[in-house]
Amino acid sequence: MMIQESCNRQRIETFLEGRLAEDEQERFEAHLDACSICRNELESTAAGQDFWAETSTFLQQDRLDDESVELRLNEACDFTFPATEDLGVFRGLNHTDRPELLRVEAYFDATDDPRMLGRFGGYEIVGVVGCGGMGVVLKGYEPALDRYVAIKVLAPHLSTSGAARKRFAREARAAAAVLHENVVAIHRVAEANGLPYLVMPYLAGESLQKRLDERGALELVEVLRIARQVAAGLAAAHAQGLVHRDIKPANVLLDNGVERVVLTDFGLARAADDASLTRSGVIAGTPQYMSPEQARGEAVDHRSDLFSLGSMMYVMCTGRLPFRAETAYGVLRRISETHPHPLRDLAPEAPLWLCDIVARLHEKNPQDRFDSAADVAELLGRCLAHVQRPADVPPPVNFSPRHNVLRLWQAASFRRRAAVLVVTGAACLLLAAVVLQAEARSTKGDLMPTQSTAGAERATSAAGSVRREPLMSEQMLFQEYEQVRGRASQLEGDWKAAATETTDSWEESAADLRRRLERLQERVEREAP
Amino acid sequence: MPSFPDTRYSLVARVRDADDHQAWREFTAIYGPAIYRLARKRGLQGADADDLTQRVFLAVSRAVGEWRPDPARGRFRSWLATIIRNAAINALTRRPPDLAAGGTAVMALLSEQLAPDEPLQAALRFESRRSRFRLAAERIRQEFSDATWEAFFLTAVGGLSPEEAAATLGKTVGAVYAARGRVMHRLRQEIERDDESSVEEGA
Repeated sequence: MMIQESCNRQRIETFLEGRLAEDEQERFEAHLDACSICRNELESTAAGQDFWAETSTFLQQDRLDDESVELRLNEACDFTFPATEDLGVFRGLNHTDRPELLRVEAYFDATDDPRMLGRFGGYEIVGVVGCGGMGVVLKGYEPALDRYVAIKVLAPHLSTSGAARKRFAREARAAAAVLHENVVAIHRVAEANGLPYLVMPYLAGESLQKRLDERGALELVEVLRIARQVAAGLAAAHAQGLVHRDIKPANVLLDNGVERVVLTDFGLARAADDASLTRSGVIAGTPQYMSPEQARGEAVDHRSDLFSLGSMMYVMCTGRLPFRAETAYGVLRRISETHPHPLRDLAPEAPLWLCDIVARLHEKNPQDRFDSAADVAELLGRCLAHVQRPADVPPPVNFSPRHNVLRLWQAASFRRRAAVLVVTGAACLLLAAVVLQAEARSTKGDLMPTQSTAGAERATSAAGSVRREPLMSEQMLFQEYEQVRGRASQLEGDWKAAATETTDSWEESAADLRRRLERLQERVEREAP
Repeated sequence: MPSFPDTRYSLVARVRDADDHQAWREFTAIYGPAIYRLARKRGLQGADADDLTQRVFLAVSRAVGEWRPDPARGRFRSWLATIIRNAAINALTRRPPDLAAGGTAVMALLSEQLAPDEPLQAALRFESRRSRFRLAAERIRQEFSDATWEAFFLTAVGGLSPEEAAATLGKTVGAVYAARGRVMHRLRQEIERDDESSVEEGA
């Protein structure tokens, strides 16, 4: 009876329209507890079966919904943090930096646009494109000019340091004065809600770090192209008296589709040094690309950037960091005390001149590096031309290496060193034999053994001084050394193919080699300190 | 109601009619997430999908200035819906690098009718309907108490049986049925209202 009375279609409709009185609604719910007929009636009146199914499908959260703003923020963080196993120890940094990011968000103004994270300095904040120890990079939209911008905000914890703020602003202004195609343009330097920030164009390209993470070592041409443009950008900055201090792949942007490289992140490095590096002893950011003088906390000049460029070129060539250790401190020690593993062991196809350039950039003493980024840019430009048109452009040997032959020797790979030793040794043996033969033929005398021994000794000592003595040599000496070695190697080939060679050409080669070695030794003796 | 950021301001200048502005905001809210999801499903990274979506709307916003009332083209709403769908289909059909946000590329994006991609069009319809459902759910959400909404969501979407949901929420089974019935009824009303206004778009 009760149920009969309650099974009332009209009541279901009234209920769905929300017009049922409260006590009546309670009774209706109690009725639904027991009556499956009314349940079904209610369900089908509310919506058809298809609609229920659609609702279930469409309101379901799925994988793509997981890409909520917050998760995307975290992705952005991971993206700029080093992701290779080499940098594993620095992963800890991003955990401490993430709260920083959230704190930046706390400085946003409200926006009436739900697609936006907020408003900052008059820009609608679309998202976070990256974050680091020094601050956060936001993607913003500038309504007035209808364009996207990248907004770099000094991290709140740094902005409480007066020195860091002043430096940030000063360096940002200095960076704004650098107008160069390889340096990111600065639209604006200002402060909002107590946080200093600077505004740059939003570039859609990936960072060099990301490319390295994804593809490992780069092609020679790419290495040269990127390094040249970085050097050119640095030259423009240095011309304004601005030292970048944080040259690393994450700060090099590869413009989308265009083969243009843009250097970013001027100014933040120095501000960070003030507030965190020196005060707390905590290294802000990644120390892997620091110069020895930076690692020791000494004053730096533009040549510090050159060292970092060397490290970056090393990574581009090999896919590995030149200075690696378990801890940040270990890395810094290695930077100031050790030489990187020979580049050629890791990248055997790298041309010798490239190894030379990297070694020169990696000189511990700033005075031993190249004089300026402009020089490096110019040199790399020539290298690039040579690689692209080997027939027209000679290899770039005419940069004056300040390093000595010993350093060159150290910089050479193990395999190369072994090869040189074998070849030189073989040449010396050969030379000795040839000299012995020739002198035996001409003198036919009993002095032969002594003289030939002297000849052999002379040859050995000349070769030996090339590879053992630390010679202060100049470019010509180096070239001569290379040529002699080439000749020795040729001689070795001849020696192996002895069956087809005549004694005359042997003697000729040997005499030529001997003359060259003698001249080389003379010059070495004359020029050695 | 959500609107698409980069175009709203330029639109304010271009679209004088309040209804037109309303249509714009509605469509960006519907098609923005739809295009993003489609792009992601077609293998684009999150950031690239974002870019693609933004570029579609940037292109469309520029085209809005071109629109003149024309009986042959119908109302602004239907014209706009068509142009957004075309732009989306074209953008999703092309490779990302071809998507430029200015000049001739924009016009190509909008006007060039590529070979009709039926599956893609169906997918876009599906995703835009998903958007409509979600927006409708958002709109009606505050009309219900948390408990009512939970009862609806856990059972109609979450796949729980009314009995399980009742146990979870500490309600009677009848109350769960009542709650989800009412929310569903309201959602259907909202979607139907939406459908009426979108008849002209040909959605």
